[in-house]
Formats: sequence, C-alpha cells, structure tokens
Amino acid sequence: METSDIYSLSELCLKLVQNENSGIQCADIYFEKNNYINVEIEENSIKNNETGEDNGISIRVIDRNGSLGFAYSNKMDRSTIKKLCKVAIKMMKVATPDPDFKNLPVSFKNYPAVKGLFDRNLKYLEIEDSLNYVNQLINVCKDDEMAISQSGNFESNYSKTYIFNSNGLNVSKKETSCLIASNIIVKDKISKETSSGYERQIERSLSNLNAINVANLALEDAKRNLNRKKVRNMKVPIILTPKGTINLILKPIAASINAETFQYKRSFLVDKRGEFIGSEFLNIEDNGLIDGAAGSQVFDDEGVPCKNKKIIERGKFLKTGLLHNSYTAGKEGVESTGNATRNSYISIPSIGITNFIMKPGDIMVEDIIKDIPKGIIFNTTGDSPNISTGDFSGLILHGNLIINGEIKESLNETMIGINLKDLFQKIDAVSNEFKIYGAFQAPWVRIKSANIIGGVN
Amino acid sequence: MELTDDLKQIDELLIKQLNQIANNKVGYWDIRTEVNDGTSLEFTNQKSKEISSFEIINCGIRAFKNGGWGFSVLKDLKKESIKVGLQKAIKLARLSESLTKIKFNIVQNKPLIKNYKSSRKKNLADIDIDDKINLVKNHEKIASNYSPYIKNTHTIYMDGYSQNMFLNSFGSKIVQDLSFLRLFCMVYSNKNGVTQSSVNSVAGIGGYEIVETEKAAKLSKKTAKEAVELLNAKSPVGGKLTVIADSKLTGTIIHEAFGHACEADLVLNNESILEGMIGKKVASEDVSIIDNPSMGQGKQFGIPYELFGSYFVDDEGIPSQKTIIIENGILKNYLHNLETSSRMNVPPNGHGRASVSSERPQVRMGFTYLEPKDWSLEDIIEDTKEGILCKDFQYGYTAPTTGNFQFKCRFSYKIKDGEKKEIMRDVSLSGMILETLNKISAIGNKNTFNYSVGICGKGGQHVRVCDGAPYIRIDDVTIGGLN
Repeated sequence: METSDIYSLSELCLKLVQNENSGIQCADIYFEKNNYINVEIEENSIKNNETGEDNGISIRVIDRNGSLGFAYSNKMDRSTIKKLCKVAIKMMKVATPDPDFKNLPVSFKNYPAVKGLFDRNLKYLEIEDSLNYVNQLINVCKDDEMAISQSGNFESNYSKTYIFNSNGLNVSKKETSCLIASNIIVKDKISKETSSGYERQIERSLSNLNAINVANLALEDAKRNLNRKKVRNMKVPIILTPKGTINLILKPIAASINAETFQYKRSFLVDKRGEFIGSEFLNIEDNGLIDGAAGSQVFDDEGVPCKNKKIIERGKFLKTGLLHNSYTAGKEGVESTGNATRNSYISIPSIGITNFIMKPGDIMVEDIIKDIPKGIIFNTTGDSPNISTGDFSGLILHGNLIINGEIKESLNETMIGINLKDLFQKIDAVSNEFKIYGAFQAPWVRIKSANIIGGVN
Repeated sequence: MELTDDLKQIDELLIKQLNQIANNKVGYWDIRTEVNDGTSLEFTNQKSKEISSFEIINCGIRAFKNGGWGFSVLKDLKKESIKVGLQKAIKLARLSESLTKIKFNIVQNKPLIKNYKSSRKKNLADIDIDDKINLVKNHEKIASNYSPYIKNTHTIYMDGYSQNMFLNSFGSKIVQDLSFLRLFCMVYSNKNGVTQSSVNSVAGIGGYEIVETEKAAKLSKKTAKEAVELLNAKSPVGGKLTVIADSKLTGTIIHEAFGHACEADLVLNNESILEGMIGKKVASEDVSIIDNPSMGQGKQFGIPYELFGSYFVDDEGIPSQKTIIIENGILKNYLHNLETSSRMNVPPNGHGRASVSSERPQVRMGFTYLEPKDWSLEDIIEDTKEGILCKDFQYGYTAPTTGNFQFKCRFSYKIKDGEKKEIMRDVSLSGMILETLNKISAIGNKNTFNYSVGICGKGGQHVRVCDGAPYIRIDDVTIGGLN
C-alpha cells in the first residue's frame, strides 16, 4: 500500500463521515502498517522462520453530544472503507451521550525531536541476517553443562503510523523495534532438580541487541533458582531486583495514575494527589523523549506530542502526576499528557506509559544487601497487586534467601504479603545501578520489612 | 454452505496450483484463511464507552521440511498473494531445515473434506443493534441499582461470526462456520474506604440465545450481589489449611497447574514436570482428568448452545475428540498437535490450536475437566473440622518446570467444626501440583459438577477454553494473606 493511497483513503473517510449530515462533531482516522520477522527456537534449535505483514484502519466518530462510534478493518479497498464509515456512524447513533467529551486534539505546531526511533537496518533486514543473533542464544545454552534446553526468539518490526482528524491534525511516523528473548532450562546433575530462567531485551536499533548477554542472564537466572527450599513464616527485609521493582512498584503505579482508572475511582491512590505516599527514595517519572528508548515516541496514538512528566518526587505524589489522553484530559480540564495508547488499529485510545522510570539512588547493589542478617531477594512473581486496594499477596516465583549479607538458597512455595502504601513508605535504599526492560527503567530497591509466608509449618 | 466472497477466491484451480508450487519441495504445508466480523459494546456506569464493529481477514501459510518450519502471514486473500505466500513459506521452511538439529517428519493423516456449521437458534446478524444495546443497558442498570454501595459497573457484549477454511498437503479441505458470543460483567463496590469487585461472564458458541438464558439474565445481579457481600468480608489469616474448592476454582487449577504440563510441546522442551511420566501414578486414585472439546456437550449443563471451548476440528485439520489424561491416578496421554504426535509416535488428538490464522498452532486445551465422584457438598463440609471454602477465581499461574502454582480465589468462607461460617476476602492458594493432586481427600458428586468459561493465554495467543470440575477437598494447602 502506497503512502499516496493512504492519504486518499483517509481523505475519503473524513469526507464521508463529515458529509453524512449526522451531527458529527469530530472524527479521527488511524492507519497502521507493519512488517515483521520472527525466528523462533525450541529445544535449543531453530524451529520456525516467519515473515508477515499487518495493516489496518480504524475510524472514530463523535457527535455533538459526545456519543462515540468506532469501526475497523484490515481490508483496505475503497468499498470496505465506505462501508466502514457508514458502520461507524451507525455505532455512534446508538451510543449514549457523554457530556464529559470535549474534543479530539487540535493540530500542533511543534513536535519534539526524539532521535533513534527508526533504524534503516531493521527496515531492510532480511531473515538470514537475523540468524546470527539466534545462533548466539543457542551457543550459550549448548556450551553450558547444566543447561538442557532453551526456547526463545528474535523479532523485528518496522511500522508506519498515520493519524488524521477533522480538526486538521495530520501526522505520520515510522518506527522500528527488535527483540531478543531467552528462556533457558537447567538441571542439577546430582539432585536432578530443574529450573528455568528468562531474560529479554527490546531495542529500537539492531546494533544495540546483545544476544549473548541476554542468554547469559537467562542462564544465571535459571541457576540462581536451583537448590530450592521451603522457609518458615517470618518478617524480614526484602530486596527487589529490577524485575521485582517493575512488578511491585512501577507497574502498579503506572496502572494507578492512569487518569481513566483514577476518574473511575478504581485506584488506591485516589485522593492522594499532593500527599506523601512513599519515602524520600520514591522518585518516578514518565519520559517519552529519551533518544532511542523503547517507550519513546514523538507523538501518542491520538497525535499529541509526547513529553517528560514527573509523577512522584521524593515520595510526594504530584498534583499533576496523572497520565492523560485527550478524553480524560478534557474531562478534568487539563491538557493531554500525550499518553494515548492503542493496542493497534483495532482499539480506541486508552492510556499507557512511555518510558516509566524509577530514579536510581547513590549506593551500590552490594551495599544495600550486605547489612541484612536475614532477608529475601524478590525477583519475579506471576501475581500483581490489587490496584483498587493496594493489597499484594503473591507467590515468589524466583527469589532467594539472604543470610548475613549473602545470597543463598532459592525459595520454594514462599509467599509475600504487603499493602503497597506500606511498601512505598518502607523503601529505605535504592541502588545506583538500574536495568531497562522495554519501557521500564528500574533499580534495586530495599524494603525495610514485609511478611513472608513459608511452606514449612 | 454459502461461502463469503473472500473465501470463494480459494477454488479448485488455486488448490491445484498450490500443489504444483509445493511439488515435493517440502514434507508438509497448510493454509488457514478466515473472515471475521462482529460487534463489541462496552459500557461503564451506564454510559457507552466503545460501540464498535469490525471486519477482519487473516491468512497464515505454513510449510515444513524435515524438522524446520516456515510461516508466512498475509493480509489479503487474493489468489496471487496466496501463491506468493506459499512460495515464501517454502523458502523459510527450507531455511529452518538447514539450521535445525532436531529432524523429524510430519506423519501423514487421512485427508478430511468437510464443511461444518455451528448451530444457532437466533442469528446474530438478524438482531437489531438497538436490541443488543438495550440488553447491555439493562444489565448495567440492574447492577448500578442493586445497592448504594455499587460505585462502578462495567459490561461488555461481544459477538462474532467467523468463517474459516483449512487446506493442507494431505488433501484436506475443511470449512468451519462459527458464531459466538460473550457477555462480561464487572462490578466495583465501596464502603468506608474499602473497595471490592466481582466479575462473571456467560459465553458460548451459538447465536443470540446465549444471552437469553436464565443464567445470562441473572449475570449482573449475581455480580453486584457478590461485590456488595465482599464489603463485609475480612482478610483471612495465612498458613497451612484444608481447602474446599468450588467447581470454578478446581477447574482452573486442573487447567492451569496440571493441564498445561500435559501439553506435549512443553514436554518436548523439558518444561514439564510430567516428562517421562506416562503410565505412572501422578495423583490419588480417585482422580481422572479428561480433555474433550467435541461439540454437543452443552446439553449436560442445561444450556441451549455449545461450550465456549468446543470446536469441530482443530487448526491442523484433526477432529476434536475425547482424550483421557489421567485415569484413576495414572497418567495416560499428553495433548498433541501434528508435530508432537509425529515426534512421539502417537496418533494426533486434535489439540493444535491457533488464536487466529495469522498465528501458528500450538498445543492447547479445549474443555478440560476432573471427573466427579461420590461426595455431596454437605458431606464434604460436615467432614471438615477446620478449613476454608474457596470460591471462584481471579487468576492463577504455574511455574512449568517446578509445578509450583499460585491461585487467587474471589472469596472464601471459614469452615469450623463441619459448618460453613462467615464470608472472607480473596485468598491465594499455593502448592506443588503433583503433591497437591495426591492430597485430594474428597471429590464431589455429579450434583456439584459445573463448568466455567475462559480465555487462555500461551505464547501471546489467546484461545477460547472451558474447564469443569466438582467441588473437591485438598488437605494442607499454603494460604497467603496479609495477616
């Protein structure tokens, strides 16, 4: 599909929906086109090579009462588009009025300059050229005595996005991303115990991918999870690894400061704006403008320029610390923060993060562990906190005991329970080192104490 | 059966040309195409949030040679695109073959040439959009007005119609015409700063009759009632306890903690605790677990439509069928797709499923259930001195290599001296699945047996599933809690 076709189809759409004489206040067209490569390994051997394309269009129409209709398709011919416009209007006519709807974004004069979101090498990547990365994963696993299997993949994606609206907004962008993921299984030859470890890296540019490093980290993760033991109930300090910080601090905060969750009063942080909700070590921002970062964007999925927003400063949840799209911003009478997010053309914009960052502290990782006589390292869990209450009670999937400042056995059947408000107040150290996982940037964090429920009576 | 215009592209001439293109260059190929359309109506607090309609086509072309797969995904069903797509898939399969160390062939199956259509009493397309809207509005109203403590309601109606065609190198040509519907209701309540919520859904394969059943009519009221009741529930105390699990929770545990470990792709990748266990005792001898995604099972649950997890044929052309996983405590079979059955030298059992044609089929469950035995619920409770009755579930997961699982139920009741006491909040249950299956000390009878519907995720793909179980009692389960 040529760019000129996209412009003419979009023009047709906007004309059709505005010509319907149906009381339309505004409309937007979202068009997306993707090409991807995916190479998968299973049982530590290349299993599948895949190439594909995806494209689609969606139309959102809103009348003067705020009633919203939406329709989408991946059939790009003129007759489908005409039908789609009709359907969107039909949907709008049966929708309920919404006085909280103000307007779609108006066009912007200036957009920020964010470098490194597009890599020509990824646009023109041939599948044969990506095999090197996958082979590096395979070799790390093959060369290790304890590793018995690995699944993983390499993925690259090149996308073009176009957004048009009836307020004159007309923007387009091209972006690339690539990913390498490794899940390694290890077996202890003597005890016959098995365990797995997972690691992945997402980048905008191919040259930043480090497959050997990803596989080695997955391997270390798997080995650290051997020699498992059940523990007794206890109340001890907890060290969150960067993955643990993402699970227990960044993801729940991101979900709670989403203006939609907030406006529906589904967040445990409702009524807490302007208050101290954590210790001085809790510093959070959402920054869409970091050059080359996975979560960076020039504009969001409604065409609004992205920015850097401070959310929590020295434990204080800022009054301006919510993430908005144009709807929630209009409802609150503020500007959109440029956080409108669509899963793809199939969804109306909700709200999401750009790069969500917990600011690092100033001490080394070793130093936040070394003074703990008895404690727990918390790496991963499959649980997530309850956003409306802040309660968290979950299984530690990967975690270890700390005895006299040293990392010891891994944990079996061990659960942790804490309310997030309590957890945020009990943060008493943050490392200067941090890790980046996709759109999250997280340090190691120490929690003064939390309840551990063990599998031993 | 009348084919949609897009699928009419795939005629006998094209199939002949595809066979010529493949012409023994690969050991196997298949093509899946589908045309989907549907409606989604999403309401919050009695206001519409998303009223949408879609029309989507998908096509995935797979080729295989001696252990290597190639996969090519298209977004149109033009004859020329399909031919080029097959050529690409063949090229990619040969590339995979040159690199893979695990060599095997796909064992040939008898070709299947058949058209299937799911029954529907009320065609979705014949129902006016206003009627669908009114249905959702009505549920929202019932939930909102249930109590002054209701703070937030959320109802989603989703229906869809899918026509898909499957072709493969064995000569199969299968058309499936399905219509499905899901009604989902979520309610938040709040009192004195405490927020609680409950979720329920009704879903099936069939027409508009799915939302006209008694069960569907009561959906919003039931959900609102649960959300309000939970406001007075206290947090339980964590520790080791005897647990009585209802059919919804038990079904989920069977699916998540045990069912996934039976998926032969995980077994081959050394990711299952059940590797090498066929023929061995893995559970107490009262335990029998089945997966049966065949059509025609709605009747036993008194519903006039098909179970949400059912299908006629899987996404590799193998008819759905009953598979015994555990019989009287002994592990009998894994679940297979074409690849795993070929490699493990057993017949395929119809568990190769993909969420859409643009994804590759994986080994997936359909309707997984634990067979009922002879305990009545009253007897199980009466026989329990101290414990906790856990109902419904919020979510659950399992570490595949260890079998360590964690489930969160939605609410629970204290059991003391054989009596059901006050309601309590959600609790987490954790354990090692093979230990847990041996700690089942009571399995409920047919009257306690029920099914539930869900969407199961694996490797980024989501498929329709059902699970089923009677009430059961498990001794010595680790219960989490904040206290």
